[in-house]
Amino acid sequence: MEQRPTAMERATHGDADSFAMLIDPLLQPAFRLAAVMLSDRAAAEDAVQEAAVKAWSNLRRFRGDESSLRSWFLSIVANECRMTRRRRWWSVVKMADVEAQRHTDDLSPEATSDLRRAVGRLSLDERLPLVLYFYLDLPLDEVARTLRVSPAAAKSRIYRAAKRLRADLTLEEVS
Amino acid sequence: MSRESFRHEISRAFDDMSGSPSPALSARVRSALSEKRQARPGPIWMAGVAAGLIALIIVGVLVASNLNRHLTGGVPAGGPTTSPSAVATATPSASPSSSPSATPPSNLPAFVCGLNTSLSPPPAPLTAYVSDVRTGTHPGYDRITITFTNGLPGSISLKPQNSATFASGGGKGGNVTIVGQAGILVTMSSADEHTAYSGPTDFKTGYAVLAEARQIQDFEGYVQWALGLQHAACYRVFTLTNPTRLVIDIQQ
Repeated sequence: MEQRPTAMERATHGDADSFAMLIDPLLQPAFRLAAVMLSDRAAAEDAVQEAAVKAWSNLRRFRGDESSLRSWFLSIVANECRMTRRRRWWSVVKMADVEAQRHTDDLSPEATSDLRRAVGRLSLDERLPLVLYFYLDLPLDEVARTLRVSPAAAKSRIYRAAKRLRADLTLEEVS
Repeated sequence: MSRESFRHEISRAFDDMSGSPSPALSARVRSALSEKRQARPGPIWMAGVAAGLIALIIVGVLVASNLNRHLTGGVPAGGPTTSPSAVATATPSASPSSSPSATPPSNLPAFVCGLNTSLSPPPAPLTAYVSDVRTGTHPGYDRITITFTNGLPGSISLKPQNSATFASGGGKGGNVTIVGQAGILVTMSSADEHTAYSGPTDFKTGYAVLAEARQIQDFEGYVQWALGLQHAACYRVFTLTNPTRLVIDIQQ
């Protein structure tokens, strides 16, 4: 009996509707990722749209299956965010002394606001693993695929970035 | 605070930052996709890219050879001494080079004092490889230049501090104290200093302000350099191309 082609197969053969259907559930996490990385919702939507178009253009090079589509697409979104930031290059950000404003472990509403400010002070590459792991709730191996590093390296990056937000974090808590 | 509580709080902070996408995003993406056909590389496209690459290589080689002929450190006119040795020789005369300046001094950013600085450089390679580190002293400033292959690091940050003691990186723990009374911590992500660089990782310069520069981390894509200063000083940071490099000037 002849099998019907999957959505991925149809997309790979040029069916834009199938591709749109495949990435539709990924748009929300992609937007969240972009919004946190860029701190700008309009720019985030632009980045997601551009990433979707790039993913569509390069789908033939994608060697995974539907299960790895999310990490592939999110890595394109992250790259698109970097590109967006690149266009703002030379707008050197001068920040107040970070040490003086480092948050405490007490996460009262005020402290949550401190946490947000602390997140805002993280570099783009520091935010990325935190968003993937803590916010989008991706498993560690998928975080690693998105970052294109080993799971051990991904864990290390999450830990290092999270430690900038919470000084007493232990490596075991990032597992 | 428990792990779940931390996860919850950080999610809330991210939620505050992102919110939800507009309901039109899905339709907007579908519309963009329907307008864009999948790329199908063809002979014309490939020829265009090949021609562009060849032109870039030729221009790059010409510029690089021209700069190398004249410059001692691959930096703008009035740039640093380029002694690769740990004890770099000062050239206080710093007569302007006759080579074309990649970035004229008048275009350099102003010195900043006591502020952290973050740069998000344009290229986003998976890893930028440090290929050279040099120091030099010039009238008005001391300089450290870090050269890269494969583009600039993903991010670069500079944090001034009031001592020359730095937390040791690479998960080793402990502190590292270098020469000086103040310091600047230079952190580069998506960078690697062990693949393409085998030169000194500790420069005891003895310059007027920049007393020592020492690598304190090269681990998991993070490279950190600790700069020991004779006293707290203003600095400026910028990047140059051909070759790609990060330049930090410490005001004397």
